[in-house]
Amino acid sequence: MKKNILILPVILFFLILLAFFYLLIIDRNPSELPSVLINKKVPAFEAKSLLENKTFVSPNEFRNEIRLVNFFATWCKPCLDEHRYLKKLSNEKRLKIIGINYKDDSKKVIKWLEKLGNPYSSVLFDPNARLGIDWGVYGLPETFIVNSNGVIKYRLVGPITKKNYDAFVLKVKEVEK
Amino acid sequence: MQRILLAILVYLVTSQIVAINCYSVEPDEFLQNPKNELRARNISKNVRCLVCQNQSIDESSASLAKDLRILIRKKIEYGNSDEEIYDFLTERYGDFILLNPPFKISTLFLWILPFVFLAVGIFVIFLHNNKSKKLDYNK
Repeated sequence: MKKNILILPVILFFLILLAFFYLLIIDRNPSELPSVLINKKVPAFEAKSLLENKTFVSPNEFRNEIRLVNFFATWCKPCLDEHRYLKKLSNEKRLKIIGINYKDDSKKVIKWLEKLGNPYSSVLFDPNARLGIDWGVYGLPETFIVNSNGVIKYRLVGPITKKNYDAFVLKVKEVEK
Repeated sequence: MQRILLAILVYLVTSQIVAINCYSVEPDEFLQNPKNELRARNISKNVRCLVCQNQSIDESSASLAKDLRILIRKKIEYGNSDEEIYDFLTERYGDFILLNPPFKISTLFLWILPFVFLAVGIFVIFLHNNKSKKLDYNK
């Protein structure tokens, strides 16, 4: 009987080992953090619009339809790779994407968008990362799905790629329902 | 030989001193009021840099860490309490941003489990001792 009890820690040890091994082999990014803003209202903020001469006021602008919020910068290489998929989302899926330009040079952004095309319905300027901090952003690019009531439903850390594009569109459809 | 040993000893001691005092706060970030600056430093030491994840924002030279250090100092000058600043950060980045996780239901396991393991360990040693004592008597 007592011998059986002594075996227990050994079994426990191997179970823990198995759990660690499982976490090691599955496809996951250990530094990715879940957003605490999921199912919360979008942060309230005012920001200068980069291309038009007007002020963007949140949460007023998050009404009636689903919107994507994409944090990007011209210095961010994955953002460049992601750009064509954002264009695809705005052209083919007719999605409104709010681009928040993070710690960048406004002249460079305007040139960048002229050259590559502009997938954004508005481009907001965030030179000191104040908006980024309000949205809990810690690495570019990050994309949020906001539903028609102005509630954040999903966050993707890292670029939209060929690999995750379909899954992302599926997420948007889920939120649309 | 002794000289080499002395050199190694000096190196080890001084390298530790440098490592302990290592921080990334840049001179232009410092607040005028030393009391407030100390408060900012203490808060920064408890806040995780989400880019490097095992460093505090006080030690990290990542740009997000710098932005947060400046924001914390602005909030201190504005008159916010330490609690208000921690709340502001966890509302946006979650408890993970605190290097010292708070004691609440979702972190219960984190805090209790080491003591459970300690109790199990003591129990196992106790059991083992009893058994060997009995073996002695049987001799």
